[in-house]
Amino acid sequence: MSGLNPPTNPTPTLVPLGDSALLVRFGNSLTDAANGAAIGLARLLDSDPPAGALEIVPNLISVLVRFDPLQTSAQTIAGEVRLRLLGHESHRAETREWSIAVAFDGPDLSDVATAFGMTAEAFIAAHNRGSLRVLATGFAPGFVYCGLHPNELTLPRRPTVRPSVPPGSVLFAAGQTAITATEMPTGWHIIGHTDFANFDPTASPPTRLEPGDQVRFMVAP
Amino acid sequence: MSAVLAILRAGPLTTIQDEGRFGMLRHGISASGPMDRGAFEQAGRSGRGGIEMTRAGIEFRVASGQCQIGFAGGDFTITINGAPAQWLGMARLGAGDVVSITPGAWGNYGYLRFDTDLMAEAIMGSIATSSRARLGGVNGRPLQVGDVLELAEQGTATKSAAPAHTAEGPLRIVWGLHADLFEPLQRQKFLEASFDISSSMDRMGVRLNDSCCVFAGTNILSLASDAIVPGDVQILGDGTPIVLMRDHQPTGGYPRIATIITADLDRFAQLRPGTAIAFTPVTVEHAQDLLRSRR
Repeated sequence: MSGLNPPTNPTPTLVPLGDSALLVRFGNSLTDAANGAAIGLARLLDSDPPAGALEIVPNLISVLVRFDPLQTSAQTIAGEVRLRLLGHESHRAETREWSIAVAFDGPDLSDVATAFGMTAEAFIAAHNRGSLRVLATGFAPGFVYCGLHPNELTLPRRPTVRPSVPPGSVLFAAGQTAITATEMPTGWHIIGHTDFANFDPTASPPTRLEPGDQVRFMVAP
Repeated sequence: MSAVLAILRAGPLTTIQDEGRFGMLRHGISASGPMDRGAFEQAGRSGRGGIEMTRAGIEFRVASGQCQIGFAGGDFTITINGAPAQWLGMARLGAGDVVSITPGAWGNYGYLRFDTDLMAEAIMGSIATSSRARLGGVNGRPLQVGDVLELAEQGTATKSAAPAHTAEGPLRIVWGLHADLFEPLQRQKFLEASFDISSSMDRMGVRLNDSCCVFAGTNILSLASDAIVPGDVQILGDGTPIVLMRDHQPTGGYPRIATIITADLDRFAQLRPGTAIAFTPVTVEHAQDLLRSRR
């Protein structure tokens, strides 16, 4: 895993998203470097937001800067972002570590293990071997993407979508492990479930895991 | 002044809204808020929150107290104790008064606002109902018959944030995040073609009928999930265009060819199924100038 500092590479692309937001993208596909750069830039912007910025949002490979178009412009925000990318000191926010206990009892567990030519036990051991980064929160409240698994532990999504899976479902696809925090549809493989609840609408902030945190999955006792 | 309102009739997607639940995208929650922000403001700004109704309208009785209501958005028919009143407008209500609102000639969304704050539990700082996240309003759900709403003694004035309605004509877009993944010829056809508003619409998105088959057979695969903003024109795997609206998913992996500009999104939200629409591109600078010139 590389660090979370915005590196000189990958080079970001700055694209307006409508007339009230700018997206800073570090590539077109999900890589460890692109994700690390996005999280690093979001932290820089959080600590030193450009004037007129309303919201800074780290995504898998990008940072969304929502701004007030009456106060500033996409061009001005883009300039401010470039200045921060150029002038960044070794900005290293604290990395938090979490252990998340998972009951590996999902309906797709044996299919997933078989796809890798493994027993379920061997897959679980391989899955839990390294610690993963929280890549982003998105798609639904408190839904987190964790990764990236090595190439040999990468599998595409299922061809069909399950219309509803419960909160706490532990999902696996595309080199990532995800945790649902609300009931939602998914095309990912369900490998287990956890009691870890990442979303509480009455808490502030309403989610616990932040992009850049390290997560270690364990077999629930 | 304060009052208690009893809901006697409510369309299936009648919701409590305020300006929106901003700042929560990083937690996976889009802002919600009124589908037609300009009309929401037109209905009044002296009390926090209001009711967004759909074409099915609403009926309620003032169970106790008194209040002033303002109403705006689209065209609806309103009666107070059976006597017609003029839409857009305002009225003073007392205990026992019954207000009935039914659909009129155009528009999908109407708004009712009050002279004092609409009482609802603020979730993450907002009472706006998110139909996607099932948060806000009354237990995260639309209003239904039998609901009782309370108005506060005091009103919290809100400041103006929304653009007024724009003129007729094609909907103005800026090119979207993935515009470059579409062939130049397809982008050209997107601008030349006419699309119809389909009947599949809600607070999350509006599906368009692509009768000119601009996007039939489009096959853009495996995009990294990325940020969505309201107004994004997303093309599904089967070629269906969807305009993502206030309860949009915060991130998504389908390609987005364009974004309807803020100044035209309220007008778009009010277009009924069957309406033919076309798109025309403008620069981001022009879209921002339109917002500034409205102040």
